[in-house]
Amino acid sequence: MAGARKSVGARVGRLLFEVLLLAAIGWWLTAPRTIDALPEHVPDAAAGERIFHASGCASCHATPVDGRRATGDARRLLGGGAGLASPFGTFVAPNISPDAHDGIGGWSMLEFVNAVQRGVSPDGRHYYPAFPYTSYARMRTEDVMDLKAYLDTLPPVSGKADSFRLAFPWSLRRGVGLWKWWNLDVAPVVTTEPPDAVVERGRLLVEGAGHCGECHTPRGRFGGLDYSRWLAGAPSMDGEGRVPNITPVGKGVAGWSAADIEYYLESGFTPDFDTVGGDMVAVQENMAALPAEDRAAIAAYLKAVPPIE
Amino acid sequence: MQKSSLCLVALLAAISTAAMAVANEDPRVQRHELMEGVRDAAKPLGGMLRGTVEFDADTVAASLATFSEAASTFGSLFPEGSETGMDTQATAAIWSDRDGFDAALAKFASVVEQAQAAAPASLDAAKPVLGPIFQACKGCHDDYRVEKD
Repeated sequence: MAGARKSVGARVGRLLFEVLLLAAIGWWLTAPRTIDALPEHVPDAAAGERIFHASGCASCHATPVDGRRATGDARRLLGGGAGLASPFGTFVAPNISPDAHDGIGGWSMLEFVNAVQRGVSPDGRHYYPAFPYTSYARMRTEDVMDLKAYLDTLPPVSGKADSFRLAFPWSLRRGVGLWKWWNLDVAPVVTTEPPDAVVERGRLLVEGAGHCGECHTPRGRFGGLDYSRWLAGAPSMDGEGRVPNITPVGKGVAGWSAADIEYYLESGFTPDFDTVGGDMVAVQENMAALPAEDRAAIAAYLKAVPPIE
Repeated sequence: MQKSSLCLVALLAAISTAAMAVANEDPRVQRHELMEGVRDAAKPLGGMLRGTVEFDADTVAASLATFSEAASTFGSLFPEGSETGMDTQATAAIWSDRDGFDAALAKFASVVEQAQAAAPASLDAAKPVLGPIFQACKGCHDDYRVEKD
């Protein structure tokens, strides 16, 4: 009798142990992982302005004016509030102005770098990948530090952006940690042999700061990018239309010269003088603000990526 | 036998003509064709601005006339019931934000009118009046055109 009772107790104990072990593994797997130390670099605000345009910060974080996308000087007011629709729900961009209370004015450089490149907030929570840190992870950390120096020069905006809530199970932020195991990778997507300095400059802009793949690459069921179809076009996240294939195939970029791509990014006109449209208008205006050699580097990179039908 | 097949051909021809007439009257087809005309008219002007096409005042005037005509009729081609179908590239915002759409279209009409009044005779004179027209195209496509492959 006593032996049987003991074995039931032992079984319950073992089950409890297994549940706790699984919970511990799950907790460990979903834990935020951060960068511990910054590279030796003196942040340069002027250089950071270029990164600001390349990264498209204002496209999401500039506070809309009368319900419309901010343009001109209003793009310097990063109070947040713009919505980003997705199949998982609508995300709202937060205030990233240097306001000490409502924005990111109180953040240290390391906290900023971890937010941008690892998707981890200063209080150790995961950001949803609507904030494209899986792309920003491929930036040079020195560039991210320059970016913060530039953001610090912009006007503080008071007021927090609206909060948002996704449907279960996406509402469990901690689960983003598991997602990051599969989707957060700092390795280049495309490399050329032999290495080419111009293509590499373009790679940092397209794969990193410009986060082009976030819209131009299709996503799997859980929202991770399908790298086998890198830049090969995807359904639009907001449900209307398609984001085009920008690999060198078919009627798209294959028929465009590098000069055509540069001119498109500078002016917004295709070689047929059709205009840029949709969300790409804001992107193109950011690209137009870059130095010409950056647009040339982007064009060189796009000519170098593998063609995918 | 021959007679009946001839009749059949005639009947088919009549049906297809009627179908084409219906299709041509569909606002989704009309507005698409109108925009294609605008794009074709814009192409040489874009080339002049980019420096790949030589400036020609007559071509500019002809294109501006095409723009002006399009600006006056385009707004009437978005009736209720034409929101979807036939591969339309109109966004839902045209109907949900009709005032914004009308304002964007009015902006296009006004910069075209200014360019016509200026009647530019040189590339240097054309640049400042053609630039805003292209910006108006882009400004409207920003919110009111769906992008496709």
